[in-house]
Amino acid sequence: MDFGSLLHTISSITPDRPWGIDIPNYFWFTGSSAAAFIISSFAHVFGMKEYKPIAGFSLLLAFVLLVAAPMNLIDDLRQPGRIINFFFYGWENFPTSPMKWGVLLLMAYPLLILAEAIVLYRPYFTMKKGVAYTKEQEEKDHRLGVLLGAIGIPLALSVHGYTGYILGAVHAIPLFHTPIMPILFLASAMVSGTGLLIILLPIFQKFFTDFKRIDYAMMQRLARLLAWFIVIDLVIRFFWLTFAITFNNEEKYALKLFFGENFWEVLIVDYVICLFVPMAIGFIRFFSRSLKWVLFAGVLSAIGVWIFRWNTVIGGQSIGKTTPFLLEYHPHVFGFDSILSVVSNWSLLIALIAAIMALFPWDKEMANYYTKEQ
Amino acid sequence: MPSKSRREFVKKATGLIGVSTLASTHAHALSLTNPGRDAKDARYVGQEGKRFGMVIDLRKCVGCQACTSACKSENKVPKEKFRTYVPEYELGSYPSVRKAFLPQLCNHCAEPSCVSVCPTGATFARKDGIVVVDNEICWGCGYCINACPYDKRYFNPISNVADKCTLCAHRVDHGLLPACVESCVGGARVFGDLNDPSSHVSRLLATFPATVLKPASGTKPRVFYIALSGEIQSLPYSNGILDDAVRKREGALHKEWSSKGE
Repeated sequence: MDFGSLLHTISSITPDRPWGIDIPNYFWFTGSSAAAFIISSFAHVFGMKEYKPIAGFSLLLAFVLLVAAPMNLIDDLRQPGRIINFFFYGWENFPTSPMKWGVLLLMAYPLLILAEAIVLYRPYFTMKKGVAYTKEQEEKDHRLGVLLGAIGIPLALSVHGYTGYILGAVHAIPLFHTPIMPILFLASAMVSGTGLLIILLPIFQKFFTDFKRIDYAMMQRLARLLAWFIVIDLVIRFFWLTFAITFNNEEKYALKLFFGENFWEVLIVDYVICLFVPMAIGFIRFFSRSLKWVLFAGVLSAIGVWIFRWNTVIGGQSIGKTTPFLLEYHPHVFGFDSILSVVSNWSLLIALIAAIMALFPWDKEMANYYTKEQ
Repeated sequence: MPSKSRREFVKKATGLIGVSTLASTHAHALSLTNPGRDAKDARYVGQEGKRFGMVIDLRKCVGCQACTSACKSENKVPKEKFRTYVPEYELGSYPSVRKAFLPQLCNHCAEPSCVSVCPTGATFARKDGIVVVDNEICWGCGYCINACPYDKRYFNPISNVADKCTLCAHRVDHGLLPACVESCVGGARVFGDLNDPSSHVSRLLATFPATVLKPASGTKPRVFYIALSGEIQSLPYSNGILDDAVRKREGALHKEWSSKGE
């Protein structure tokens, strides 16, 4: 309806918006976890030998990210003490509430990764106990590992895909309401997960292994992979935005308003700086050979996807449903769903990474691939 | 050996007790809906056979906000939260301008998008169509608040869960009118049973062309408007001019979410 210019809202109230800073952070965590799992499956399930050295490491990373992620959700709940109600009641809404699917996935998925990690590292654990690890056992474990990985791939896709479903199902919010949202979320997740791996892998190889050497070829490979994931992400975003803004029904007015007002944050920061630049670094050999540039690309893309999550979750809610124009969001510094919550969640992630990496002999397994080469 | 058989007995007995406790709690605990509905509590079931709704005759609304204040005091709606309110609009451009009022409340939709997404079954539609929230079950995830296309849900800062208009179900169940209808000075708000063809609401709907807000959202609202201007029917995304009285007084930046207008 083209009455907009003839209409002024002169008095209204400010409506409530439920989701704050925890939610983009949660989406970033689950997405990166799914991506880390998929990258580890390159070697475990698809037999791509070049990714073998980092398969174990990224599997553990996927696990840690997914243990930390749900804390964001619990913190976002207004009544976190009532979690049990989720399990007891409301099962008639199972077909129509993606949140209902999500909690089940969030419980099944980390258990599966943990099982896979235990199977993968069983030789090292049994050797530590002084028990011989037989050939027969090895074959059995290998088959089990492939099986778990094969189940894990759809589960990893679902665990992040459902978050896209949560948003896509909300027809009240034009920025959320698109069936492409789960795929869009998965594509951007691959970008952030690869970015995170690019940041963490050299740190761990350099400082926490016996061989103390960064695998530059692997870094270049990951930068290349990152660039391709960005291509996929951009293609999906292209389809999304062209349909949503150009060929849409009245939702397009809200989206034009939103993207017009947030032009700088969305187009310049998110698309150009955080996607095009890392993509160029990954594809141009001059940059991808340099560790510094690759690290830079990793950091940019990880931050870029976080901004994308923020722009989607917070930006979507900022669009007025009954009030004109946009709402503004200022996260609290302390308390539930605050900046401190997110900082705490990251601290928990770091603590968990430290604990898991200390418990699992990932460095010994990784060293196999590098000592053999020499 | 006696000690062995005793151990066996203890094992079996604890196992049996364990399994039966688990089974019994399961039978009671796992629910498709929620405990209130399972127990067929009258407040949860509502008035079977009826379908409550409202007709708002905008020709009679003078924008006095009596409904807004009556609702707040009847339902003890916390500060800065509203179950119903009457936004004011200015239509047209100078010199041919006029004011419009649009009383809004939960539409008690026939296809409520807030209910279908609820992961705890805390929010549901009663048999008479009134959509309510069980504030002892709701875990406050806020999914329903985002799912409502009409912005008619909020977090109640006292109960710390989602809250909304109940069409004054506590009054309606005792044969009274909702507070906003009772207090409407112009008689713009009319409440009644849509299933009863002789009710005031049914007669109004049969007599006058009526419409609903955002019909495209597919929620089938059960709050109808007579003489609703096309300009405000879909609550369009308009300019950033908004005199948000509450925010102006309280200050915008201290709030988590605030309106951007002037």
